[in-house]
Amino acid sequence: MSAALPEDAAGEISGRKRTRRLRLTRVPAPLLAGVVVVSFFLLCAIAPEAIAPYDPIAFDYTALLSPPSLAHPFGTDQFGRDILSRTIAASTIDLQIAIFATIAPLVIGTLVGLFIGYYGGWADILFGRLVDLVVTFPFLVIVIAIVAVLGPGLFNMYVAVSVIGWVFYARLTRGEVMVLQQYDYVAAAKVLGYSQARILFRHILPNAARPVLVYWMTDMALAILLGSSLGYLGLGAQPPTAEWGVLIADGKNFFSQAWWITVFPGFAIVLCGIGFSLLGDGLADLLDVKR
Amino acid sequence: MNKTGYIAARLLQIVPTFILIGLVVFVLTRLLPGDPVSAMLGDRATDEAVNRLRAQMGFDRSIWTQFLLFLERAVTGDFGSSIAYRVPVTRLIAERLPVTLTLTGLATIFALLMAVPLALVAALNANRWPDYVIRVVFQVGLSSPIFYVGLVLLTVLAAWLRIFPVGGFGETMLDHLWHLFLPAITLALSFAAVIMRNLRASLMEVLEAEFVEFARAKGLPRQIVLMRHVLRNALITTVTLVGLHIGALLGGAVITESVFAVPGVGRLMVDSIFARDYPVIQALTLVLAVIVSVVFLVTDLIQMTLDPRVTR
Repeated sequence: MSAALPEDAAGEISGRKRTRRLRLTRVPAPLLAGVVVVSFFLLCAIAPEAIAPYDPIAFDYTALLSPPSLAHPFGTDQFGRDILSRTIAASTIDLQIAIFATIAPLVIGTLVGLFIGYYGGWADILFGRLVDLVVTFPFLVIVIAIVAVLGPGLFNMYVAVSVIGWVFYARLTRGEVMVLQQYDYVAAAKVLGYSQARILFRHILPNAARPVLVYWMTDMALAILLGSSLGYLGLGAQPPTAEWGVLIADGKNFFSQAWWITVFPGFAIVLCGIGFSLLGDGLADLLDVKR
Repeated sequence: MNKTGYIAARLLQIVPTFILIGLVVFVLTRLLPGDPVSAMLGDRATDEAVNRLRAQMGFDRSIWTQFLLFLERAVTGDFGSSIAYRVPVTRLIAERLPVTLTLTGLATIFALLMAVPLALVAALNANRWPDYVIRVVFQVGLSSPIFYVGLVLLTVLAAWLRIFPVGGFGETMLDHLWHLFLPAITLALSFAAVIMRNLRASLMEVLEAEFVEFARAKGLPRQIVLMRHVLRNALITTVTLVGLHIGALLGGAVITESVFAVPGVGRLMVDSIFARDYPVIQALTLVLAVIVSVVFLVTDLIQMTLDPRVTR
């Protein structure tokens, strides 16, 4: 386990500290690539109208189902809507999914894992049973079952994913905290009489947070896969909301004549997923997180 | 702990798991907006019909009695009638479950057939171009949603090239397998990526191990060292991975079956949501979770025979 120690625990590990500082000057290539890809999608998500060449919902009856061309690089759909513009417009929803489907699990799971890992006891035993139980439900199946109860839609999808998703963050944080607790610097902080809140949030959390941050990146990639899948099935974002999965479902009936309606939004999903994965890999490299 | 003791403990452990699965599914139905009975019967149901079904389902009794009643019914396989199909839910699932299990089984075989040789190539050429190419291809596979991969394969191989059927399930046994081929490949691709990444890592670890060096030093042929010593040991983690992945595979089957119109439980689940067929959703959630926990159990037992260190 190569969990690097914080600055105030230096002393014997000054050698390692030096290598860490050296490493910070070199940005890992995957991280750079990930930052570029994700920033591109963020830009599309924030200002789609500035990047998209056409209005994503404007009909154009002079260009129905036209194949990719200079005027429409990704082609048009059965209403003559520009697929490139629609794909760009949809990134707003899909990046929202990446964030909204993971933010509550991230915050709640990390806090719960922090306390359970630190205090242990009956809560820890109970949590162990909960993890065993949660993993027996196929994730997609339990999410679909919850969406079935709440009704299809983006908000209900966030709720369904959050109800289950926090457990994985809590499990990860708990494991980290258990390891960190055995380090001398935590014992030192206790001996110094620091408050529990200070030890938890100033000493343990910053170190436990690094693998969680890496996992968050992967989880955002997974959230986009899940969100677009539910959108495709009609359980997530509802048409006419432009979302990559919904766009693909829109085009599936035209697939053999007009493959471009489905293929290009799919590219966006794949590229965005790779972007977040690279970001995760690069961060793991940079923060020295073993996976 | 000895071997028999371990097996007995592991077998007993599944009983509380089953009960807890039942509890989750029970609570889930309780969260339905409004009364489950009126949700099932619809707005136009007469008071008399509502009361009859309420009594029949035990809703007039205490919540604990209801839960026990629910468990009792689940154990005997009585999940009531489907609202959409008007047949017993158990029959509906019994007809479709074999299809889904065949699909996931085929997908697992395909995934292993793809992943194992490629992982070997990647591990033996670690950090050289074959390794990079294989890893990039699998990273793309990992980031591609199943429904998208399915649609692309369906269009290119079924609609354009007409090599495979466009969907459905066929008539004879052989026809069934033929119809399941493309869906199984679709489901296998992302799974293969997961297996390959894991197996590559464990292969590289085993290749460094002292016993492998010893086997080489003994003068054993390269092939024998690779197959008997390296692959055998590295595959132990793969067995665990395949077992732990069953949930993701069943979830993937839900999407694959919807794309290819395969008449399995996954498609039944999605259809049931739109039909508000709650008894079916409830029963399927329960059945799939039970399948996963049984597979976990079997995985543990297999791992124990492969790697005797587990019981110690």
